[in-house]
Amino acid sequence: MTEVRVIGRDGAERMIEADDGSALMDSLRDAGTGVEGTCGGACACGTCHVYIDAAWAARLPARSEDEQMMLDAIGELVEVRATSRLSCQIRVEPGASGLALEIGPVP
Amino acid sequence: MGAINLQQLLAETKTLERCPFPIPTGWFFVDYSDTLKAGELRNVQLFDQEWVLFRTEGGQVGLSDPYCPHLGAHLGHGGKVVGENLRCPFHHWEYDTAGFCKKIPYAKVMPPVTKKQAILRTLPMAEKYGLIWAWFDPKCEAPTWELPHIPEMEDAGYACTRRGTWPVNTAIQEIAENGVDFAHLKFLHGAPGIPPAVVNFEKHIIDINMANGYIVGRGYGPGLNVFQFTQEGISATMISYTQPITAERSQMNMSFRYKDYAEGSKELHISKKLVDHMIGAAEGEESAGFESVDFIVWNNKKYRPNPLLCDGDGPILQYRKWFKQFYTAADEGTLAKV
Repeated sequence: MTEVRVIGRDGAERMIEADDGSALMDSLRDAGTGVEGTCGGACACGTCHVYIDAAWAARLPARSEDEQMMLDAIGELVEVRATSRLSCQIRVEPGASGLALEIGPVP
Repeated sequence: MGAINLQQLLAETKTLERCPFPIPTGWFFVDYSDTLKAGELRNVQLFDQEWVLFRTEGGQVGLSDPYCPHLGAHLGHGGKVVGENLRCPFHHWEYDTAGFCKKIPYAKVMPPVTKKQAILRTLPMAEKYGLIWAWFDPKCEAPTWELPHIPEMEDAGYACTRRGTWPVNTAIQEIAENGVDFAHLKFLHGAPGIPPAVVNFEKHIIDINMANGYIVGRGYGPGLNVFQFTQEGISATMISYTQPITAERSQMNMSFRYKDYAEGSKELHISKKLVDHMIGAAEGEESAGFESVDFIVWNNKKYRPNPLLCDGDGPILQYRKWFKQFYTAADEGTLAKV
């Protein structure tokens, strides 16, 4: 388990426990943060959009082409930032403690 | 190879398969163009699975996998042609003839993959000679050759609307093997002798010249063969386009054409007799066409991958080696059996 600091869409801050080795999206969805993850990790729905804390964003592996295309697609409807990620594409690593993010807007 | 092992030969009978062949790669006949109107769709069994055949409002023909990539609804049960697309009954996702998803009526954002690639399997299609053709490749690769020009089917000056269709319980490789099995023409068909023949193999094409030009045939891959029969200087043409329905079932289809000779002329009489002779038993002919004699063999035989052949048998093994090129996805184990 890795602790992740989450700022909800209502601005409230909370800590959730994320399962090591699984997609961050799963833990965010199961914790009731408003993340839906409808497509299950296929970069097809954009409903798991998050803003990663700036200090952490650079430490994550780069966006894949598919993730980039989905972010570009939702970018026409909602604000996508340099720190935007699809949380389904982020694997929770043990030792990622201190990871912080804000639940992003979705179309 | 070495000598025949009798024990093996006897034991093999029980393990021999009738049709150990995969579905071959190539252009195959789907249906006659005039049977599919704009906006129409229907389910067809081909290549060992079901497909949805449709024609868009604009006239383009499509052949798609039946199951929607979204949630698996059968596009051919309740689906509809809408403009240039095939629409799934379940959530109205729409696909074009190339398999691209063109519309999801409720998604605010189309999944990016839909712009990048086809998500529904459709086959490359062609319409030629008044026939609808599909390129089948188990690995979904693009066609590697084009359908040829067939003057008898495409040019002015030819006639005859005669055509036929015959179901047969075997695979295409087995049916076409008879084309290079010259000895059976004497014994099964009752030809006066084993005709002299020359066979050439070149890429996807096989050329056969039998009895010094009496029958000249060219095969284009596994799904199209054109044979000219010539007698007294008059030719008639059999265009054969067999379909693999399942691994063990094929549908033979043929069109017969000859020059547009005058009614009552000797030329027309010879042409018609030649066509009769291609199919069955013609007046004054000693030998029989395929309809009367070949099916009993095709429908009941087993395939011997290691046959005992003798002189006079024709280039059976070269034919089999040539045919293997159409099993593009087969593994070593499968190829050893075919």
